[in-house]
Amino acid sequence: MARIGVFICHCGENISATVDVKKVAAAASRIPGVAHSVEYKYMCSDPGQQMIKNAVREKNLTGVVVAACSPRMHEPTFRRACAEAGLNPFLCEMANIREHCSWVHEKSDATTNKAIDIVRTLVAKVKKNKALLPIKVPVTKTALVLGGGIAGIQASLDIANAGHKVILVEKQPSIGGHMSQLSETFPTLDCSQCILTPRMVEVAQHPNITLHSYSELESLDGFIGNFKARIRKKARSLDEKLCTGCGLCTQKCPTRKIASEFDAGLGLRPAIYVPFPQAVPNKPVIDREHCTYYLKGKCRLCEKICPTQAIRFDQEDEILEVEVGAVVLATGFDIKHGDFFPEYGYGKYKDVIDGLQFERLASASGPTLGEMRRPSDGRVPETVVFVACAGSRDPAKGIEYCSKICCMYTAKHAMLYKHKVHHGRPYVFYMDIRAGGKMYEEFVRRAQEVDGVQYIRGRVSRIYERGGKLVVKGADTLLGARPMEIEADLVVLATAGVANAGAEELAQKVHVSYDPYYFYSEAHPKLRPVETNTAGIFLAGACQAPKDIPESVAQASGAAAKVAGLFSQSELVREPLIAVVDRQAPPLYSTCVGCFLCQAACPYQAIEKEEIRGRDGRLIKTVAKVNPGLCQGCGTCVALCRSKSIDIQGFSHEQVYAEVLALLNRGESDV
Amino acid sequence: MSDFNPKIVAFVCNWCTYAGADLTGTSRMKYSPQVSIIRFPCTGRIDFMLLLKAFANGADGIIVSGCHPNDCHYSSGNFHARRRWIVFRGLLDFLGIDVRRVRFSWVSAAEGAKWAQLVNDTAEHVRQLGPFSGYHRLRGLGVG
Amino acid sequence: METLRDKARELLAARTVQVIIGYGQGSGGGARAVFVREAAEADALIFNEACRQNLAVYLMKPEVRKLGKAALVATPSALRTILQLAAENQVGDHDLLALAVHAAGEVTLLATLQAIEAHVTELDADLSAAEKAELRKYEALSLEQRREYWQEQFSRCLKCYACRAACPLCYCSRCTVECNQPQWIPVPAHDLGNLEWNVMRAMHLAGRCVNCGDCSRACPVAIPLYLLNQKLISDVFANFNARSGMAAKTDNAMSIFKPDDSEDFIR
Repeated sequence: MARIGVFICHCGENISATVDVKKVAAAASRIPGVAHSVEYKYMCSDPGQQMIKNAVREKNLTGVVVAACSPRMHEPTFRRACAEAGLNPFLCEMANIREHCSWVHEKSDATTNKAIDIVRTLVAKVKKNKALLPIKVPVTKTALVLGGGIAGIQASLDIANAGHKVILVEKQPSIGGHMSQLSETFPTLDCSQCILTPRMVEVAQHPNITLHSYSELESLDGFIGNFKARIRKKARSLDEKLCTGCGLCTQKCPTRKIASEFDAGLGLRPAIYVPFPQAVPNKPVIDREHCTYYLKGKCRLCEKICPTQAIRFDQEDEILEVEVGAVVLATGFDIKHGDFFPEYGYGKYKDVIDGLQFERLASASGPTLGEMRRPSDGRVPETVVFVACAGSRDPAKGIEYCSKICCMYTAKHAMLYKHKVHHGRPYVFYMDIRAGGKMYEEFVRRAQEVDGVQYIRGRVSRIYERGGKLVVKGADTLLGARPMEIEADLVVLATAGVANAGAEELAQKVHVSYDPYYFYSEAHPKLRPVETNTAGIFLAGACQAPKDIPESVAQASGAAAKVAGLFSQSELVREPLIAVVDRQAPPLYSTCVGCFLCQAACPYQAIEKEEIRGRDGRLIKTVAKVNPGLCQGCGTCVALCRSKSIDIQGFSHEQVYAEVLALLNRGESDV
Repeated sequence: MSDFNPKIVAFVCNWCTYAGADLTGTSRMKYSPQVSIIRFPCTGRIDFMLLLKAFANGADGIIVSGCHPNDCHYSSGNFHARRRWIVFRGLLDFLGIDVRRVRFSWVSAAEGAKWAQLVNDTAEHVRQLGPFSGYHRLRGLGVG
Repeated sequence: METLRDKARELLAARTVQVIIGYGQGSGGGARAVFVREAAEADALIFNEACRQNLAVYLMKPEVRKLGKAALVATPSALRTILQLAAENQVGDHDLLALAVHAAGEVTLLATLQAIEAHVTELDADLSAAEKAELRKYEALSLEQRREYWQEQFSRCLKCYACRAACPLCYCSRCTVECNQPQWIPVPAHDLGNLEWNVMRAMHLAGRCVNCGDCSRACPVAIPLYLLNQKLISDVFANFNARSGMAAKTDNAMSIFKPDDSEDFIR
């Protein structure tokens, strides 16, 4: 038999001014199952809480209802008080007779009656409450960081510096990402490599970081605190332990005319190569698609000249299995290439290039050693047109969003060009200038006012070749849409920033959601920007949306802080307000029929398949199981389940059903 | 009919509408006392059977309210609920059950005034529709 | 008919399947389900216009499952039921074969779920013009007329659950109607319990029902249950562009959402 204690708070006069609290206490005492009913000036005060604790002990209460303010205010207070008196905290409920009653209604019998209704409803609920224990999940204090661009580097360093192990996986032969390709960075114009490479070296040397370059995630299973990752270490065709990085092989390799990915196709590299001189690790990799030996079975020159005999032509991909407690996705972005802009002749005219290619042209380590020479004939371009929003903010191209970084890097490009070609004429076609950020607007102004970059507000309709020049046709909308035609030597398209080609596949591997553009979705757009909906998986950098360096770094540090927070305890303790699929005695085992309609509805991929097997290993049935590490307790599955086989602790079928009935059925006990 | 005080049950989510109704209180806005709230973690948790139970037990009107689209604490519970309500409303209407007695709304934690307005409008609306005696009579001899 | 029997004999003789679930001669010119386990008994199989029952209902019965791998004589509804059951994780590719029967008497052997999908794609899954017209007729009634109509219909309900037994998609091992903690549906067959039972059943079939009509045919008091199902089929298609029983691997319309689902009724 239930022995419920009801404690009615006056909240000074906040409640008692409009609700007849004595009457409520008297009515509550007549509700079947209520063993104790009192009212008091301030229930949340020390004496008030003491009153509850004493009653729990002395009256041997099996449940407590505190009729006072919103549970969003004091539920933790009263649950703690109950726990201190030895009552399971989840056997305490609050009846909100302040925010939802005394404050919103005039003093009247109706208001008092409503307070009684609310108390009766919560008494009915608490009678169905069950003692619950917090959920404890062990945590493996190792983080897996996917992507070794600036975001992944920052996240790895921050987590490692917090004293935790990090496994950093980079798909390319070197870490560094897009930032390593950049010439200078806005708005300070400091050299990208100069600020990045020390961080790369720090990663390589950090005792807490294990770097797997030229590797990719094969699969990820498990849940927060307890992931199992399989990593494919692609064959470098090289024994990394023996290789000293002397570079002899890359100098002697006879196959030398391969477009360099690092130089965005503007430079060349050999078949055995290090992507760039400051690469980390500074060990070459053989590009098997172009290496003569792999294509024709002959050559092996690198093997012959290698002073440490490190070349391994027969090396195979290796699969590593690691256990990690958290995952940071920092897989970055790409930009639109190729035939996406037929109207601009991109891919057709050599001198129509994209922003990353311009970075390489401007870079001192680039194919022109930083001299401004155009790709077609190596001449110094006298007139350069920069086209902002090439693809971005263009519903017709299917990219409705703003790529965010282009306004700033276009200003930077025009400025860098002007710094290198003093007599040059840079033009920028733009839609709007978005320069929100510290020193950003000032930077764009400087480009316009100090460096004399000509900004034209309007879109470019077409680019074509005429007599060795690129004719850029557009309109100046600030001059009444006056048609413009500029004869340029070089055109730089600030092409849209997009998700990586493999973004969707990776999202599916790790079970995180993504938006229609395949950028990864944060758990909450405002309040949980670095978490995903899958507990234990965090986001850093441009894989979530286009971002500049400071933003990527800030988010990476945010993700790292989340990981460090998770790793600060050896067990993850969570409120047990989660869904549970019932289990029954054999031969039923569970009323779940395994239709798994709930699985697609779960926002957290928390519903798993459990195979129930007999002693002989024979499969008896497959039923749903909620992973307590992943479930967040929304209850969407509960309302969806036809056979009512899923229930949610704290808002169970019995609890809410009892509430509805109690609310609407005033008993004889009332009024 | 004028002295008819309808019974209205509000099924609301904890994170947006419950908090919004708290704000109505903190802002001391007044509304009709005929409405009482039952708290759920999310609109996605609200079982259509509970709405039937509310009518069967004497409710004259029902409010169902949660977070605005894209604001759901659980990211998509409200979207799932919305889809369920589309189907459920159609079925009730087809069966001749007056769906005007069920008000669906999105009330955020910041919309204390909207909550007061919603309650008052619903109470007035249901008052005009009168008691839901056609449904309550169905109860017959059964238990709830 | 002979083609069907030949196919059945062949499958049983080759031990490709252990049982053929098909139609046999029933009383009074009707058809009934038969379970043919020996090639010699294949002559018991018939197919004519009386063969309307959705035999896929037997796929979910434990006593039938025990017989082994089955070949199911399948009408279009039954084929869609198989796909729906597959989408709900209840049947797999190796559990059965389908013998798709056509009015003209030919039989197509569909050995995989993929083959069933390809076959079903060719069918017109939409409600028929007559069905749509009937639905519109009821929708056009006043609210009060609809209430009276259904109250009258449900007042005859005996809560015998024949609709549930006939439905191939009502395969739960414990139906909500059997829950008593809490007692979701009142036990007696009174107006409220009858309404709640039928609303619940219809909702549980939303996005799942393949419109075979067996619930209505099974109802001993002739409640037009098919109308409820067709209403939901029509609404689910109109709102979510989804049809049940068309694919073996697909998310149920009621398990997913679109950010731009209609919300003109939400304030």
